[in-house]
Amino acid sequence: MNPLYVESTKSTPEVRFDPAGGTLVITGQSYPENAFRFYEPLMNWLDDYLEHMKQSTVVTIELHLPYVNTSSTKCLMHLLEKLDKAFASGKKVEVRWYCDEENEAEQECAEEFKEDLQLPFAILPRGTGA
Amino acid sequence: MMIDVLEVQQALRARGILICFSGRLSQALIAEYGEAVKSYLETEHRPQNEVYNIFSLFIEQTQNINKYNVAKADSPHHGLLLYSSIVTIGKQEEAGYMVCSGNLILNEDAEALQTYLDSLIVMDKTELKALYKMKLKAEIAPEETGAGLGLIDMARKSSTKLEYSIVDQNNGLSFFTLKATVRGVSA
Repeated sequence: MNPLYVESTKSTPEVRFDPAGGTLVITGQSYPENAFRFYEPLMNWLDDYLEHMKQSTVVTIELHLPYVNTSSTKCLMHLLEKLDKAFASGKKVEVRWYCDEENEAEQECAEEFKEDLQLPFAILPRGTGA
Repeated sequence: MMIDVLEVQQALRARGILICFSGRLSQALIAEYGEAVKSYLETEHRPQNEVYNIFSLFIEQTQNINKYNVAKADSPHHGLLLYSSIVTIGKQEEAGYMVCSGNLILNEDAEALQTYLDSLIVMDKTELKALYKMKLKAEIAPEETGAGLGLIDMARKSSTKLEYSIVDQNNGLSFFTLKATVRGVSA
C-alpha cells in the first residue's frame, strides 16, 4: 500500500499516512471551502488500510490541529469513527491529539471528540510529539 | 474626487470597529483576512482562547456567506449577492469583542433562516452542544459544501446570545446581519 502525503496550504493541514510504520499524522489548520473534498481521499485511504492491516500492527493517529472549522470537524469525526470501529473489532488503534496547553478552546475541541469515542485517546501538550 | 476616508474612519471608530472587510469574498481572501485578524489580535496581546474564538467566529461567518453565494450561483441576483458581504470585528468596553457580518439574501430564504436562528437563540449551551453533536454524526452528503453546523458553533462560541436582523430591501432581497461576541477576561 502506498503512503499518502498531502502538502499543507493556508487552510488545509499536511497529511502523512505511512502504512509501514502505522502512523497517520495530520498537522495544521483545517478550514477549506469544501472539507469533504479534502477529507474524502483520506477516508478512502483509511478504509483500504484498515481492511488490509495485520491484526498485530499498532496504528497511531497523531493530530496537531490548532484550528478546525465545523465542516472539517464533521469529516474528522467520521474519520475517527472509522478508527473506533477498527478498535471495536479488536485492532490496535490509538489517537494522540496534541494541543496548546494554554488554549482552553483547543483543549475543549479535543475533549469533545474524545467523549464520543471508545478507542484509546490521549490529549497531549503540543511540542511533546515526535 | 477624493474619498473622505476620515469620515469612514470616524464612522468605524464610533461603532468600535477595529477591522472591516467589505465586498466580494473568496476562500483565498477568507484565509488571508483570517490570518490578518489573528496577527492583529496577537499584537494586542489577547489571550489565546479569545483569539481562537474570534478567529473561529470570523471563519464560520465568512464561510457561511461564501457558501450561500456559491449555492445561489444560478440566481439572477447572484452578482448583487456576491458584492454584498461585510464582516467587522469590533471592541466595546463592557461587551468585549464582537464579530458582526452582513450580506444580502433572497427573500425566499429569509423565513427559514429566521426560524432556524430563533430556534438556536432560545437554546442554552447544553442544548446547543447536544444539537451540534447530533449534526456532527449525521451522514456526510458528498455534495454538501457546509455541514449545517456553522450557526450552532457560533451560538456555542458566542459569549452572549446571537443577535440578528433581516431587513427587506424591497427588491426581492433582504439584508441579513449577524452578531456574536467574545467577552475577554479583562476586556
